[in-house]
Amino acid sequence: MNKYLASASLLFASVLLSDGPTLAQQGITDTEIVIGDVEPLTGPPALLGVAASIGHKIAIAEANNAGGINGRKIKYVLEDDGYVTARTIQGVKKVIEVDKAFAMLGISGSGQSIAVMPVLEKAGIPTVIDVAPVKFLWEPPRKNVFVVGQSYEEGIIHLVKYLADKNPNKKWGLITQDDDYGITVRDGFDSVVKEKKLKVVYSGNYKKGQQDFSSDMLQLKDSGAEVFLAGGIIAENIAMMKELEKLNVKPVTGIFWPGRVEPVLKLMGPAGDGIYAVDYVEPFAGEAGKAFLEKAKPLVSEAEFKGINRYTMSGYAAAKVLISAIERCGKQPTWACTISELEKTKNVETGVMAPISFGPGVRFSNQKLQIIRADFSTLSFKPVN
Amino acid sequence: MRTGDYKQTYGELVALVDSPPVWLWSVVLVLALIGAPYALNAYALSFVTIILITVVGALGLNILTGYTGLISLGHVGFLVTGAYAYAILVSKYQMHPLVGFLGAGVVPALASLIVGAPSLRLKGLYLAITTLAFSFIINTVILEARTLTNGARGIAVQRPELFGISFDSDVAFTWLCLGFAIATLFATLNIRRSRVGRAFVAIRDNDTAARVMGINLHAYKLLAFVTSAFITGISGALYGIYLSFVSVEGFPFLLSIEALAILIVGGLGSALGAVLGTVLIVLLPEATRLVFSLFSAQMDALFSTGAQELKSMLYGLAIILFLRFQPRGLVGVWHDLRRTWVHWPLRY
Amino acid sequence: MQYFTQLVISGLAIGAIYGLIAMGFAVIYKSTGLVNFAQGEMTMIVAYIAWTISTTVSGNLLVVTIAAIIAAVVLGLVVERLVMRPMLGEPLFATVMVTIGLAVILRSSINFIWDAYPHGLDVGFGRDIVRVGTIGVRTGQIAVIATLLVLLAAIWAFFRYSKFGVAMRAVAADDRTALLMGISAPRVHAAAWAASSVIAGIAGVFFAISYDLSPAMFQLGLKAFPATILGGLDAVLGSGVGGLLIGITENLAGGYFGSGMKEVAGFLMIIVVLMIRPFGIFGDRDIERV
Repeated sequence: MNKYLASASLLFASVLLSDGPTLAQQGITDTEIVIGDVEPLTGPPALLGVAASIGHKIAIAEANNAGGINGRKIKYVLEDDGYVTARTIQGVKKVIEVDKAFAMLGISGSGQSIAVMPVLEKAGIPTVIDVAPVKFLWEPPRKNVFVVGQSYEEGIIHLVKYLADKNPNKKWGLITQDDDYGITVRDGFDSVVKEKKLKVVYSGNYKKGQQDFSSDMLQLKDSGAEVFLAGGIIAENIAMMKELEKLNVKPVTGIFWPGRVEPVLKLMGPAGDGIYAVDYVEPFAGEAGKAFLEKAKPLVSEAEFKGINRYTMSGYAAAKVLISAIERCGKQPTWACTISELEKTKNVETGVMAPISFGPGVRFSNQKLQIIRADFSTLSFKPVN
Repeated sequence: MRTGDYKQTYGELVALVDSPPVWLWSVVLVLALIGAPYALNAYALSFVTIILITVVGALGLNILTGYTGLISLGHVGFLVTGAYAYAILVSKYQMHPLVGFLGAGVVPALASLIVGAPSLRLKGLYLAITTLAFSFIINTVILEARTLTNGARGIAVQRPELFGISFDSDVAFTWLCLGFAIATLFATLNIRRSRVGRAFVAIRDNDTAARVMGINLHAYKLLAFVTSAFITGISGALYGIYLSFVSVEGFPFLLSIEALAILIVGGLGSALGAVLGTVLIVLLPEATRLVFSLFSAQMDALFSTGAQELKSMLYGLAIILFLRFQPRGLVGVWHDLRRTWVHWPLRY
Repeated sequence: MQYFTQLVISGLAIGAIYGLIAMGFAVIYKSTGLVNFAQGEMTMIVAYIAWTISTTVSGNLLVVTIAAIIAAVVLGLVVERLVMRPMLGEPLFATVMVTIGLAVILRSSINFIWDAYPHGLDVGFGRDIVRVGTIGVRTGQIAVIATLLVLLAAIWAFFRYSKFGVAMRAVAADDRTALLMGISAPRVHAAAWAASSVIAGIAGVFFAISYDLSPAMFQLGLKAFPATILGGLDAVLGSGVGGLLIGITENLAGGYFGSGMKEVAGFLMIIVVLMIRPFGIFGDRDIERV
């Protein structure tokens, strides 16, 4: 205990020295600490933005119920960007400048988070990103920006390698969205194609917002692909699977985590049975998933509970990491301390994904991936071993 | 005391401003805007920047829709073309930013020539339809022309350095936008005063009469369209620099609608209207937030359940209500106020 | 050949939906002279209402159909009375912009009232697959093509023989003369909005049965727009046929040139149509050149 106190006071002293007279950091009062967030809360992408914000809320409610961060209650400020990049930039500026946030979580989609990087870097505010982990966010590493998750590219590589090992010498088909998300998926796929010398017979590219996939799936069928990587998000994957059912073909299919939400299985119907998915958060059907829902239930409203999906878990984990880092900074947390504590994050258990670690110069938690498989009879994803 | 609007010479009719105090107040406003970055925080400043960038685009559309009376439903197409032209020239080929800005105007202008030449021969809503189609087609073109545009990856854009001045900081960038906005304002006001501008308005008010007066309808409509695309493209370049990252994603179709809403709310056919409309539409989300916070301090609980959508609904409502109850827009309100002020206590 | 046939058949299936929505555009254009940019949003709203009925009241096909039609009529009438009628006599530009404002409101109401998740409309019909040889079609897709054909015939008869149909044509041709002849223009406008809403609503319900409901559904309006240009903005029947043509074109473009082409095929077609036959295939030749 004494040792702990000593180190705490040492830390405190060093903070005092390093920060000089401006001791009180923005976003902190005697009773409150402000955490900001910008997400798409309107329009179709609200599906991920709202879910992620619910995850942040659960972690914050949990911390507040336990007395807050060293006695300070966390105030959560959430801004809507409607998935419009200019509004994301403004939202982040507002959260930092007007609401005087102490730290940030989020932030919106991949293109949006890339666009706000200069703003975050200039401000120096501790930030944990959880919604759209893409390489540009941690390469090169930025002092104050941490990313929890796994890159789309690695995710695809993991999935494709798994499917390739399971189905050797088969013909492959791939379809991706025509945006930065689609490109990353394609890059990941291509790297495995080269390495494993896969035979790709169909490679499609659909327009964002496309609803009718009849001609694309017909091309896939015509090409004779036996393993199919569906790079849609949610509605697109459903439409593709139903189209394949109509065409009476059932290739081994893999989907990616942005499309891995449970209602998808119900809508795909029997056509969705047995599709593979890759993710770094636990499926809701597993022990960890059930425990998470159990924990979330009393902390959120009924409407919010219905909005929970995998993004809630990744959001929860990020918020947990941030809160524990601020907590470790003791009575007078500062940005410098929070950043260095975030850096020291080592094997933090969140219960929803593998333990999270960062390190000096490491701003990306590089989560462990797992393959899961859809089970139509229970409408859930289950881990595959 | 001012007694009314008596114009005795043609020169007075086409004067840039109708009374000397307007000059004074304009200078005050410009000085205030130059000083603004020092008084405002980064969030408030971002609104100023967005307003200035949007003013450029709105003034561009105003030439087409306000002066000439033609509707474009796809002006975002020119915005994105301008942004890409700048990004490709400056970020990819390391050209001088001024060349970039020139390209950002010229490339959309060329595109508008292609779109406008066939569709402007027809009367009615046809330009609206072709521009709508154009804004979708151009996105596909950009995504397919990977070698030039990086496809869906987008292009990162740095803040420029012009005449030895770096516009990297938010403050300096606001000044750059202010410069462009003032230049555009003068340009459009002068176009309106010129022979060409009067031809545009004649076409809008009565095209048959305009033709009788010897105005080549097709040529002048095309000229209005090309000028409009040129200015919009420059606004697109500024917008791209502001976003620091140019991709198709950053330019949603909604921006086309927003631009039209700005003109309607501000008052069609008036440069002042375009400015006022921009201010209102850009600040509308912030204003609704204010209204919301008046009703209840505890809106947080509602935010996740869809109350955010209420804000976009208010936006649509604003368009409808303005058209219904104040078709002359904010500029109409302003004129009414001014008249009341000048004539008080008399009514006329 | 089989590849081609399958492409054409799925093109017809989606084209029938475009066709219905395009007819909705044309009905309003023909009787009021304006383009309703909220058509896709009205389609979406009716589909969502049908879904709500199917999950809360009854999933019976008949119940859902009747309720959806009633809802569509009410929606059309409310929009006409509250939003469009006050704009009577205002400039065309203003009226068209009002429909754009309306579109923004309706679009946002989806997330406000419902949610952003996709939903399946289950009425116990339309999901089964019929196979002829190796070609598969869903019953719902056959039904929508049949519905389009029936509606085309019904509307032709309506405009040709019914008194009200003739009145509508009269208002479209010359509203002042029609007024002098004792035809109530507001009533004709109201009927047009209700009819347009019903036709678009039917399209929405069929789309939800064959595909799914999602808040992005309003984009169907944008996709159907080329159909009505192709068929002729003032040609109700022509727009229906135009939908089928666009559906087939899109699918063939997608099937032979890739998806990138598929989504813009319709818009490219608009440009071509405007260049060579701006009034559409079946439209009246009263386009003015300048």
